[in-house]
Amino acid sequence: MIDGIINMLQNHWFWGFLTIACLAWYSTITIYVSIKGAGDIRDMLRRLARSKRIQS
Amino acid sequence: MNFTLLDGSIVGAYLLVTMIAGVMVRKYVGKVEDFLVAGREMDVYLGIASLAATEFGIVTCMYTAQNGFTKGFAGAIPGVLTFLAMFLVGYTGFCVKPLRDSGVMTIPELFEKKYGPRVRWASGVVIVLGGLLNMGVFLRTGGEFLVNVSGMNPNYLELMMTALLVGVAVYTILGGMLSVLVTDFLQFIVMSAGLIVVTFLILDKVGLNTLVNTVQTNYGEGGFNPLKNASMGWSYVIFNALLNTAAVLTWQTQIARVLAAKDTATGRKVYTGTSFFFVARFLIPGIWGIAALAVMGWVPLQVLTDAENAQLSPVVREKIASSHAPSALTIAPTEEAYAKLPNDKQKYTLTPTEADAIPPKIREKLDKVSLNAMPLFLSTFVPIGLMGLLIAAMLAADMSTDSSYMLTWGSVIYNDIMAPFRKGKWSEKKGLFWNRTIIAIIGVFLLIYGLWYKLEGDLWTYLGITGSIYLSSMSILLIACCYWQRANSWGAAAAIFFGALVPALTLILQKVGPYTEWFKTNDTVCGVATYVIVALAMVVGSLLKPQTKA
Repeated sequence: MIDGIINMLQNHWFWGFLTIACLAWYSTITIYVSIKGAGDIRDMLRRLARSKRIQS
Repeated sequence: MNFTLLDGSIVGAYLLVTMIAGVMVRKYVGKVEDFLVAGREMDVYLGIASLAATEFGIVTCMYTAQNGFTKGFAGAIPGVLTFLAMFLVGYTGFCVKPLRDSGVMTIPELFEKKYGPRVRWASGVVIVLGGLLNMGVFLRTGGEFLVNVSGMNPNYLELMMTALLVGVAVYTILGGMLSVLVTDFLQFIVMSAGLIVVTFLILDKVGLNTLVNTVQTNYGEGGFNPLKNASMGWSYVIFNALLNTAAVLTWQTQIARVLAAKDTATGRKVYTGTSFFFVARFLIPGIWGIAALAVMGWVPLQVLTDAENAQLSPVVREKIASSHAPSALTIAPTEEAYAKLPNDKQKYTLTPTEADAIPPKIREKLDKVSLNAMPLFLSTFVPIGLMGLLIAAMLAADMSTDSSYMLTWGSVIYNDIMAPFRKGKWSEKKGLFWNRTIIAIIGVFLLIYGLWYKLEGDLWTYLGITGSIYLSSMSILLIACCYWQRANSWGAAAAIFFGALVPALTLILQKVGPYTEWFKTNDTVCGVATYVIVALAMVVGSLLKPQTKA
């Protein structure tokens, strides 16, 4: 796989770079977003529950 | 086919968890604002996960893989253009800042402040018509993917997609945007896991060198450079730049995340943070499509059953077998034109008589060789166990898209189209009831239209043309609303009229009249013309209206 990536970077650098970036994005950012997103859901539901209590 | 009981269990567990999570959050919905924009409590990372999940459905995967299969790496160029547009809009706040600052729930609501209530209503109608027509292809295309990948009997396609839509409708109706956000989040995780695992498997087993060589062999330099690709060129790139910028600014499911964000800065961060996902959205399925071409080769007759093959004459079979990717059926316009073709082209070109003799069902299958190549490839390539993850990932992708589309278009119907009929202030309970009813009606519409509509030609281009029905006019209206003081209701009305007329006319002229071939092959030129005409209509219309003295 590494050979393929190096060849692609040499011959078609634009698509080679984007392919690596996509794989890296999915392998790393996705995990980060998943962890932080779970915190966002918890906070969002907490705020909504609080505002519902205040309304009632 | 590699779909077993283990794979079925993975899919079943995923569906169960999603449904439970989607239904559980319904207790937090107390007001219409909670239902439509999650009480404007959405934060950055949830927004990124939700937007990424919504904008990747099975239909997305199918057409982007089709782009890879038929255009090589160059087919991912719309994803690069969307990335640039979304990043710049998020970074600069172009249009989205004044939109979110205004505190509206939908774009037409903002238009009312500038152009008046009639334009708000008309915008709502255009958005809903354009959006639902676009969404109409989702169910059948998604069903075809699942049938091809899992090896399921095609006769169960309608039943399976109906069950899926009912499940999605249940949690969307109960929890609105809150359910959409929470289920989107789960679907983002499952979808991402499936996408990355299958892609690494392809790169490991097929190899990047093989993919590059396949593109080079079949499409030459045009497989890497859109400007050198015979089916793309400048008009394709310009059309996609306009289309994707307009979508970033006004596509209801995308802009709904900005409007649901807890503040303007968060909305902009959601855009910049999600922007690169749009490259992956095209490139990863594109790699799957290229892998399908590399592994299976160009064997269009393989999509037919033995019985269907037997219905073709030996001459027609020979010509189809000699065809080149991406088109199995090359048909000469007349017998005379065929006779004038050189021998090497006659080998794969059908005469009109030969083409007419092909049964419609077989012809439809041959037209869709490039669309169905990727799922057919995955059905034998992905091993047991991973197949369950792949199907769960694709179901996740489809469910998140369906739920968000139903909710956001429903929100425009309630907030804008029904606005003139909501005399006096409705209670929150009544508002919620109507929103839920609208989503149920959209679900029924999708079942009827989505499962019966027969799609012809290139899927991405179809989506582009139908999307242009509203994207062109709404984007021009929004830009003018935010940044041109002289813009007024005359200009807005003219822009809406031409924005609907030109794409509709293009679709009609592709079917009837003496220039059907020209309109089919130059659809992206017509797409670019739509944006130019709509912008001119806005300017001319606005300038024609007499100015009132302040």
